[in-house]
Amino acid sequence: MVERWSRDQVLALAPDASSQKAAQGVAAPGKWSSRGATGTVVYGECKGSGARPYLACVDLTEPAYRCSCPSRKFPCKHALGLLLMWSADGVPEAEAAPQWVTEWQEARAERADKAAARLDAARAKAAGSPADAEPARQGQAGSSAEHARQGRAESPRHARVASGLAEVERWLADQVRQGLAGAAEHDWDGLAKRLIDAQAPGVAGAVSRLAQVRAEDDWPGRLLEEYTLINLLAVAYRRRSELPGPLAQTVLIRTGFPVTREEVLAGPATRDQWDVLGRRDEVQDRLTARRVWLRGRATGRPALILSFAPQGQPLDASLVTGTTIDADVTFYPGAAPLRALVAARHDAVPAAVPAGVSPEEALDEVAGALAEDPWTESWPLVLAGVVPERTTLGGLPLHPRSRDPWRLIAVSGGHPLTVAAEWTPQGLRPLTTWDDEGTAVILS
Amino acid sequence: MSTWEELASAALVGTDRRPYDGVLLEDAAVEVARRRAGGGLRRPGEVAPPAPAPEEERPAVARRGAERLVRILGGEHERLLPEWLAAAAGTGRRVPPYVLPELLERGRRDRSIRVHLGVLAGQRGRWLAGQNPAWAYLLEEPTGETWELGGAADRRAHLRALRAADPAQARRLLESTWERETPDDRAEFVDVLGDGLSMDDEPFLESALDDRRREVRQAAANLLARLPGSRLSRRMAERVRACVAISGNLIAIEAPRACDKAMERDGVRPKPPRGIGERAWWLQQVIARAPLAVWGHPPAQLLRMRIPDWDADVKAAWVRAAVLQKDPEWARAMFGWDPIADLLESLPPDEQQELAADFVRNHDLDSQLIMVLGGVSSHWREGLATAVLRKIVKVATTQPWNLGELVKLAGERIDPALFPLAESYSPVESIQQVAALLRFRADMYRELKETS
Repeated sequence: MVERWSRDQVLALAPDASSQKAAQGVAAPGKWSSRGATGTVVYGECKGSGARPYLACVDLTEPAYRCSCPSRKFPCKHALGLLLMWSADGVPEAEAAPQWVTEWQEARAERADKAAARLDAARAKAAGSPADAEPARQGQAGSSAEHARQGRAESPRHARVASGLAEVERWLADQVRQGLAGAAEHDWDGLAKRLIDAQAPGVAGAVSRLAQVRAEDDWPGRLLEEYTLINLLAVAYRRRSELPGPLAQTVLIRTGFPVTREEVLAGPATRDQWDVLGRRDEVQDRLTARRVWLRGRATGRPALILSFAPQGQPLDASLVTGTTIDADVTFYPGAAPLRALVAARHDAVPAAVPAGVSPEEALDEVAGALAEDPWTESWPLVLAGVVPERTTLGGLPLHPRSRDPWRLIAVSGGHPLTVAAEWTPQGLRPLTTWDDEGTAVILS
Repeated sequence: MSTWEELASAALVGTDRRPYDGVLLEDAAVEVARRRAGGGLRRPGEVAPPAPAPEEERPAVARRGAERLVRILGGEHERLLPEWLAAAAGTGRRVPPYVLPELLERGRRDRSIRVHLGVLAGQRGRWLAGQNPAWAYLLEEPTGETWELGGAADRRAHLRALRAADPAQARRLLESTWERETPDDRAEFVDVLGDGLSMDDEPFLESALDDRRREVRQAAANLLARLPGSRLSRRMAERVRACVAISGNLIAIEAPRACDKAMERDGVRPKPPRGIGERAWWLQQVIARAPLAVWGHPPAQLLRMRIPDWDADVKAAWVRAAVLQKDPEWARAMFGWDPIADLLESLPPDEQQELAADFVRNHDLDSQLIMVLGGVSSHWREGLATAVLRKIVKVATTQPWNLGELVKLAGERIDPALFPLAESYSPVESIQQVAALLRFRADMYRELKETS
C-alpha cells in the first residue's frame, strides 16, 4: 500500500507547465469511464476524442507510467490526471486490477528480472578482475599506479588532453600576470573550443561558463575562484599519477573521461531506505539537467541522481520528492562519491520526516567532502531545528536566488523545523520542509 | 584585508603591476577550498530575528480542503476562489501555513478577497504580513476582535453581529461613540443599521441628516426612505404630491423647479450627473425616496396609465424607489418593465428564483439574461436550475459559441447538491461541464466540513 501523494508531489512529476494544466483538465471523475487503485497500482479508462478510451495506469512503487494515448509527453496528462484524482481520494479501491494492467505489470517484472540478471553477470565479471572496480572504492596507491598504467595504454587521448590542459595552465598564468580585468568572452570561447578538440569536455564546460561568472556582481572574486579551480584541475591531471586512486578518478571524470552507466551499475551497491529530498531542473546548452537528491536513512549517505534530456523532452520522473524508496544505489567512482544510479528497487516504504543534523555538523560534512573533492558544487543536507529567515537558514547564508523563501518562512513561523537543502558554494537552496503534520512541503 | 581579498585584488590588477610573493593560483586554491568549506561564512548577528509567530486560535482547514484551495489558486476554476474563501471563513477555520504566501500575494492584487483573509490567515498570516510590507493590508482586515480593541473592520463586523441579535442595543452602542468616529466609519456604521431597521432608529437617523459628511447624510436618507412613517418619508411624500396630479388614466407631472436647502438636507443632490437635466434629476430623487403608497394605486395599474411629460424619468424613479425601499410588489411590477438585477434583490429568495426562471424561459440568451441571473442572491434550486439547463441544451444546438458565460454561471450558481440532476440531464458537453463544476463545488463544501 503506497501512501497517497500530495497534489504538489504529483504535479512535480509533470514534464512541463502545460502538462500540469492539461492534467488538471482530465482529473475529473466524469472523464473516466472506469478507474481503480489496488494499493500499488492506479489505473483507469479515459474518454478521448476517438472511439476507444485511453487506458492509463501508474505503478506507484516506481513510479512507472503507461498510457495508450499517442502523446509523447511522459508521463502524459492521463497518467497525471489519474494520479491527481488518486491524490484527492477520487479513485475507488479495487480488489484486483483488470487484465491489461496485470499484463503490463508482468511484462515490466520480466524486463526487470532480465536487467537484474545482466547486472549480476556484469558484477560477477567485475569481481573477476578486481583492478577495474577497485579505484572507485579505496584510496590505495596501487590503484593509482593502475591508472597511470591505463593512462599510458590510452596515450593518444591522454596526449591530446595533456597538451590542451598545458595550454590552460599557461593561459591562466598569463591572465593572473596581466590582470583579470582584461579577460573577454571571445578568449573563453576560443579556449573552450580548443579544449573540446583536445578531448577535455569537462574543462571546456567550466571555461565556457566563465562568461556567466563575469556577469555577476562580485565578478573579480568569483572569476578568480573559477580560474583557481580550473587551474587546480589542470595541475591535478598533470600530476595524477601521484594522487590517491579515488582522487585520480575524480580528476579524470571532471576532466571529461566518461564512466559508462554499465560500469557504475556493476559497482558495489548500497542498499538503504533513501529519502527523496528534492530536485532541481536546470537548462544547459539545450539540455535540461535534472538533479534529484537522496539521503540514506541508515547509512546517512547523500546521493545525486542526475539525468539529462533535450529541451522539451521528458525527464526521468521516477523519484517523487517527499517519498522514501528502499533501493540498491551504486555510486560513480571518485574521492567524495555523490553522483549515483538507482540499480534496483525493493518494496515500498512509508515516508517520514528524515533525520537531520545541526548546521555545524552539516558544515563539517561539506568540509569533509570538499577536502576529498574540492570541485564539489552541490551537496544535499538535511538540517534539523533550524529557523529560516529572509537571507539565512539556521544562520547559514541562502543562495541569492533563494532569498525571501516565503513558503519556508510561513511553514516555520519563526519556529525551528527540519529542512532539506542543497549546499552550493553560493549558499543554500532550500528543497523541502515538513510541516506540523509531517507532510512534505516542496519549496524549490 | 583578508588573505582572499588580497589575492583577488592582486589578480584583478595583475601580478606584473602588483607583484605577489608566491604562486598566486596555488595559494588561491587553498583559500577557495577553505572559504567554500565555511571559512568565509559570516554569521548574521546584528539584526535580531523576529519573535516567533503566536499560537493559532483556530483549527486549520483539513488537508484535502487546503489542497483544493491550492488547485483553485493554481488556476483550476479560478472564479470559485471567493466562494471557497467565504465558505472556509464561515467554518471559523484558517488555512495551513504553506498556502499563505500564495494567498496573501493574491490578496495583494485582488482587494475583493481581502475581507475573508483576516480570519483565514490566522496568527501566522498576520505574523508574515508584519515581515513583508506587500502583505501589510492584511493587518487592516477583520480578525474577530471586539468593538473596543479591534480595527475599523472588526468593529463593523461586531456592530453587524450585534445588530442582528439586538437591534436596539446595536444602535445605542453606535450612539455612545458616534461623536468620536471618523467620517468614513460613520457612513459605514449607518449602513449597518439597514439590517433590522425600524421606527426606533428614526430619531437617530433624522439627526444624522445634519452630519458634516455627505456620505453619512446619503446613507441616513436612504434608510429613512425605507420607513414610510419617518419624518423624511412624510416630507418626500409632500414633495411628490406637489408635482403629481392623477386624474382618470392620466398622470400629470410638474417637475420641481428648484432644489432648496430642505431638499438637500433630505439627501437630494442638487448637481445632476452628465446627460440629465436638473429638473429631471430632482424629480427622480424625490420620487425614489417618497413612500410608494403616495401614488394611491397598485404599480401594475400605474404602469398602464399615460404620463405625457417626464414619462421615462418617473418610471426610472419607480425602479429606483422599489430597489431603495425594498418593496416586493413594486419590484415585481417594475421587473416586467425593466428587468434589472437590482430589482430581484428586493424580493424574497423564492420569488427571485421564480421570476428569474420565467425570464430565462421567455428571453433569448444575451448579456441581460446573464445580468439578471447574476442578481439571484441564493443558490439556484431545481426550478431555476432546470430552466437554465434547458436553455443551455437549446442554445448548444444553434449557437454553442455563445454559451461560455452561461455555462460558467450555471456551474457556479446552481446549488451544488444538484450535481446528479445536471449529470443525468443531458450528455451535451456544455451540460457535462456544468455538472463537473457542480461536483467540484459539492466536493469543496464536503471537504470543508471535514476535520483534520
